[in-house]
Order: sequence, then C-alpha cells, then structure tokens
Amino acid sequence: MTTAFDLLVIGAGPAGGNAALEAASAGLTVALIDEGTAAGGQVWRAPRTAQATRNRTQDPDRTRGDDLRARLAASSVRVFPATQVWDARPQFHISCVSDDGAQELHAPRLILATGAIERVLPFEGWTTPGVFGLAAATAVMKSEKALFGRDIVIAGQGPLLIAVAAKALDLGLRPRAIIDRSHRGDWLRATAGFARVPSMLATGARWMSRLALAGIPYHRRSEVIRANGDTTLRSVVIRDLGTGATREIEADTLYIGNGLTSADELHRLLGAAQTADLLRGGYRTTRDDRCRSSVPGLYIAGDGGGVYGALPSAMQGKIAGLSAACDHGALCETQFAAQVRGPQRKLRRLETFADASCRLMQFPQDATPRMSPQTIVCRCEDVSRADIEKAMDDGARDLNQLKHFTRLGMGPCQGRMCGLTAAAILSHRHAGSGTDTRLTPRSPVRPVEMTQLIGEFDYDDIPVPKPAPL
Amino acid sequence: MYDLAVVGGGIHGASVALFAARGGMDVVLLEAGALARQASGTNAGTLTMQMTRAALIPYALKAHEMWVNAPQWLGHDVGVVACDGLSLAFTEAEEKLLSDRAGARSAAGAPINLVTSAEATRIEPGVNPTIRMASHCAIDGYANAYLTGLAYRRALKDAGVTIREYTPVTGLAASGTRFELRLPDQGITAAQVVLTGGVWLEPMLRWLDIRLPIKTLVNQLSVTERTGPVMRTVLGIASGLLSLKQFPHGTVVIGGGWQGEGNRETGHHRTTHASTVGNARLAVHAIPALRNTRLVRSWTGFEAETADALPIVGPVPGHPGVWVSGSVHSGYTSAPYIAHCLTQAILGRAPEMPLFPMDRLLAPSLPEADPFSPEQQRVHP
Repeated sequence: MTTAFDLLVIGAGPAGGNAALEAASAGLTVALIDEGTAAGGQVWRAPRTAQATRNRTQDPDRTRGDDLRARLAASSVRVFPATQVWDARPQFHISCVSDDGAQELHAPRLILATGAIERVLPFEGWTTPGVFGLAAATAVMKSEKALFGRDIVIAGQGPLLIAVAAKALDLGLRPRAIIDRSHRGDWLRATAGFARVPSMLATGARWMSRLALAGIPYHRRSEVIRANGDTTLRSVVIRDLGTGATREIEADTLYIGNGLTSADELHRLLGAAQTADLLRGGYRTTRDDRCRSSVPGLYIAGDGGGVYGALPSAMQGKIAGLSAACDHGALCETQFAAQVRGPQRKLRRLETFADASCRLMQFPQDATPRMSPQTIVCRCEDVSRADIEKAMDDGARDLNQLKHFTRLGMGPCQGRMCGLTAAAILSHRHAGSGTDTRLTPRSPVRPVEMTQLIGEFDYDDIPVPKPAPL
Repeated sequence: MYDLAVVGGGIHGASVALFAARGGMDVVLLEAGALARQASGTNAGTLTMQMTRAALIPYALKAHEMWVNAPQWLGHDVGVVACDGLSLAFTEAEEKLLSDRAGARSAAGAPINLVTSAEATRIEPGVNPTIRMASHCAIDGYANAYLTGLAYRRALKDAGVTIREYTPVTGLAASGTRFELRLPDQGITAAQVVLTGGVWLEPMLRWLDIRLPIKTLVNQLSVTERTGPVMRTVLGIASGLLSLKQFPHGTVVIGGGWQGEGNRETGHHRTTHASTVGNARLAVHAIPALRNTRLVRSWTGFEAETADALPIVGPVPGHPGVWVSGSVHSGYTSAPYIAHCLTQAILGRAPEMPLFPMDRLLAPSLPEADPFSPEQQRVHP
C-alpha cells in the first residue's frame, strides 16, 4: 500500500477537506486523514443514524457537508477514514492507527486542519454525569438527530448557545432555561459583524425569535456556579453576574460551553511558532497570508491554528491547498494568484463575522480567580483549585511542574480540558514572571487503543536492540 | 561565598546538596531548569537489581534500602513500592542470556535466582504463560519519578539549601582557593564545586579543559490510562529491554531503554514510531491483559553513558575542590547512596564504599576526544 504522498492533510472538516480538494485538482497526490468515519468534521458532520440521514430540513451545514463528501468521492484524494493520528515528525512522518494497526505516512508537505475543542469554565459539580458540552450537543444532533435529557438547561456563551437551544426545540425538547454570560449589548455589538453574512444573521435572528416565541426563560449576564447531584444531575444553581443573586433550576441535563480552543497538539509537536491570542481561543499558530507556518512545508488551515469558525476555515483550507500546490511546483505564481483571489476575498469578508462570533465566545479568563477551592480543574485526575494552589505554595512555577506535583494533565485528555485553565491560575499568581504556561507536547496526541497500536505481530519479529551492558 | 556549589539539580545534585547541608555546609544548588525535570523526573522510577550493572549491585542494594526508607531520611514521599521483580525468557537465546546475567548479578550480591515458568506464574499471575523461565529477585520495586522534584525540593528547603532554579551556569574558573561560577546575572563563589549535570557533564568538564566524551542516550517511555489490576511485580525481559510496572493508581508504565531521538546540544528529544510500537508489543507479550488498555502518553529523557558504561563519581583530577557525579547506569536507583558516599569524601571523610574516579577514562595516551566525531561515538558499547 502506498504510504508516500505529495501532501498529507490531517482533518477532513471544512478546512482539511477543501485543502485536499484544491491540492488534488492541481495534480498533487494527497492523503486526507480523519478520525471520523466520514468527512465533514464537527460542523459539517455526516449523519450516522438512518433517522438523521432522512432529516433533510434545510440545514445548510448538512448541505455543505454532503457537497464536500461528494466532491471528495469524485476526486483523486486518498481518504483515510476512521484513522487516528498519534504523532508527527518533521519532514513529515505521520504515525496513525486504525483497525488495520499502526502505520506511518510520509510527505514533504503537511496541512494541519485539526479543528477546535470546547472549553468549559470549571464550576462546582461540573463533572457530574448529565453535564455535557454545547459542542457535544451539536455533534449528537447532527449525527443522531437526538439529544440526551428531558429537563435540559443550556448555558455558556456565544452563538452555539442559541443554536443548541433552537435545535433542541425543533426536536421537541423544551429547554427549562438558557443561561448566557453575555449582556444584551454584547449581542447588539456583534450584530454589526454578523450582518456581513446576511444569511447567517437571518438564521440567528430566526433562532432568537423562535426561542422568544416559545417563552424559554432567558437569563442574561448569568453563569452556572454549581451542578447538584451524584450519579445523575438534579439541579443547577445559577448566579446573576450583576446582582450576585442566585437561584436553583431543576434539570437532569446541562449543556454548557465557554467557547472553543484550537486542537493544536500536532502544531506544537512539530515546533510551529505560536502567539497568545484570547480571541482565537488561547493560542494562534503563526501563518502568513498563504497559510504557511514557521516550519518549512507545514501549512495551517482552520480552527486548529486559531478559532474562526467553519466558513472562514473552508476558505483557509482552499488557500492552504493552493499554497501547497504552488510551493510543490504544480501551480505557477500566476495560476496561484488567479485561483487564490476568490477564497482570499471571501475570507476577508468572513473574518469580520468570525471576529463578532469569537468575541461572544471568548473564554472568561478573568473569572478563573473566582473559582472556589474545591472546584475540580483536572477532571481526569480529580485535581482541584486548592491542589493547584498548594503545588504553587510548594514552588511550582510552570505548568510541567504543576503536572508533576499534582498529576494534573496526566489522564486520558492529557491536559486538553484543564491545561489553559490551570495556566490561567498559575499566571494569576505569577503574573508577568514569564514562566512556561503550557505543557510540553507529547505523543500520542489522543489516547491510542493498544490493540490498534500493536496490530498483528510475532514475538521473534520485534526488533529488540542489543542488550544493555551487564 | 558558599561552602559548596552544586551544578545540576537532578537526583545526584539534589542528594549531594541535601547531605552536604545536613553535614554542616552552606550549599547552593544551581539548576538550568526546574529541579529533577530531566532524567531524574522522566525515568521509569524502577528500583531494580535486574537491570543494574553487576559492578553497581552493592550500591544499588544500599540505595534500595534508602528508597524504601525515604520518609525517614528524605522526609517526603516519592511513592516507593517494594515488590518482587521478574526477568523473563521467551526463547532459548533469552534463557541463556538470563542465566548468564542472573549468575553475574547474584555473584555481585543481588538475591536473584532462576525460577521455572510455573513458579514465575505463581509470583506474577498476569504473566504470559508461554515463558520458558524467569529470574526472580525479592528486592525490587519502583518510585514515582515525577515526584522526585517535589520531594527533594521540600527536603532541600528544610535543610537550608539555597535552591536556584532556571539559573544556567555558563562557566567555572578557579580564583585562588575558591571557585567562581558564571551565571546569567552575576556570578557566585564557592569553596568547593560538584558537577552533576547528567549528559551535560561533558560540556561542564570542558570549562576545566577536560575532554571526556559522554554519550547521550534518549530513553523513551509510555504510560497507559488507569486500568484495573493487571500485574503486581516489576517485570523485565532477559535483554533488559523491557521494564513494566503498574502503579497503585492503576497506570502501567512501559519502558526498557528503547531509543527515541534527540541530542543534548538542542536539548530536544522525542519518541520514534518504531520504538513506541516495538516497546508496546513487548509489553503486551509479557502481560497479555495490557491488550485491553489505551496508551495515553509517551515521553523521552536523556541518559548519560561513559565509554565503559560505568559511573564517574569522585574528584576531578588536577582541580582539587571540584567533584563530579554522574553517568551511573540505572542511576536513579543507586543515586542516593552514591551521593551519600561522595558527600562523605567532600566532607573530608572516608567514603563507605569506593567511588568511581574518572581518571580511568582520561588515559594520557588516548587521542584527544572529539565529541562530534562519529568514530568517537562508535567506541561506546
């Protein structure tokens, strides 16, 4: 089987899918790797169940996803579905696993289009069963056309809040309340940016009015401060950020999200330069206007390099694909310039929209110091705010020390959920000290099933090196 | 001015600093990064005799006792668990290797004996029943290496050692009867100096115009997510290329000296595809229940090795007052005791057990060592 290509693309969402298509149509041999069973990523996710497949109700994300999947099927792109990348080495050797075992793919150029992951501002009881992410809710609705829970509360911030609430209503699930960190003014300010993409503004307005008509209680400038329950969720306690007044709402399911952050493990493993950027989810991977990173041959597209959203990501993907093709010599500068003009123009228009959306989703960094001592920060290893404070008392000054002192970030998520939150706590204590507030990137970038990693093997074929000296 | 400046905050440097301070010296410990974040914090924590060089067995036995009693002398917990150790043979060649090695280590004082596969399965019910035989050692165990920095930091503070992290030393020069150490801001002076820089001992010794090649090994390790009990011993194979143990919290650490890639000049090191897969296969072959786990993290760390793969511990020839300690194969196990012996010498007493002077590696007839010459690299075992 071929394992060498002109270009590898990791992530088959709006960015990666379009990048692969552009490069392939310029003549490059392209491998497109994705852990999902079908291309589309999170936002253009393919339906999984028959019920979800039948549901063709005017969902533009579904239409865009179906179009992407059809174009990929008709192209020369070699798609590796259900394939999980666990390591990347320079000049590019990509380690991945699938049901066929572990293998390495190779190409002189690599486009990372790894997408985003959701952030949650920890609160007491956020690890109670029945508490889910907002992005998780959209993923389940797209693939299953269903949502867990009967008495649901939807909380957090940004456009996802409204989208999930409105779509839940479509499924016949009436949210008991919507808890929004933002002010009405925040939304009004965002409207100017949203207006740059009228169809999206119209969709948002339709969702808003649908929720208002249904009379769903909407708590502005409020946050969830506690989830009550043990094996299942019983209620959530919310607090008005202005008055400080609290109230309890009975619920068996809470969907909550505080914005997105880049899934940039591979970017960091490969040593691509980054800049701190709260608006873009925490860190943004440096790229030029052709999506080239600081590492030669490495291109960055989509939310994995800084959060912009699905539509700008698709344009970045096209630009990255054309850029890789041009650097490869498959397109001359003139052809590149002609083909890249459209995507670049659209991207500029979409960026204003993206900025408005990202501002609403921006993680409430200044809220981390208010977290109570018993709040769990690292949910894999049950490390609380108080444990982190104690480790800092013991002299932990950087995030790797914090990890060693507390086991924070040593569990299955490897710090993806807690790393930035712990860093905010660390920076609050050691403001301006310039110590390292990120964990050293390590492979595997996601947990790897041992059976997939080892595949089929004979003991005698294990290449055991020369024994150590006696 | 300090009585003693220790350059390098790994397990060797931290132990020497601790014992010297308790011996009455005014000590500063200088570390380029954070304490015990290189080899001393990233190794597998195995406290075993079965991967220890025969010449080091007497030291490792003493050190094992120290580790088990760490709460008494260190005062803080590094999660030490003492348990049985098994080294396995799956092939005829491995049986031969196992009996040779068990014999040599046993002659050096380690309580190692060969056992049948049935006996081995009794000792470790989780083991692959196709083993042909095993060597058993009742003195084995492990520490939580990542806790080393925290435990030593607390002990060093209690002992009054001045800890200076993120303080790279860039030079060392004699000035009369004292030594000046160059730091990024301003230098410090000390009556005596100990170099405990691990793989960076080679560039450190060059400050004194001593050229002594130190090979840089890049050892890689992996860990599974927490899982139910799958094993109760420290497990290896005859060649020494597997070390396997399950920690009380349920994770299984897979090591054994499989090589990653990297170099000390850049300080970067990383795992390789082949080593990750090979090491995992060996682990699953030894403990079949590991098949049902997930690997959550792999990492690498440097290990220092001299030309004869034996330690350099003792005075630096031609520079009275300067000492060195490092390149101890399976150094984590033996470090506290070796540091104890070296500190006795620094305090002007006779060490309990002989040190490992570096003079043997500096024979004047040898051509000058060039660390970057490929020929030089090939000399090492």
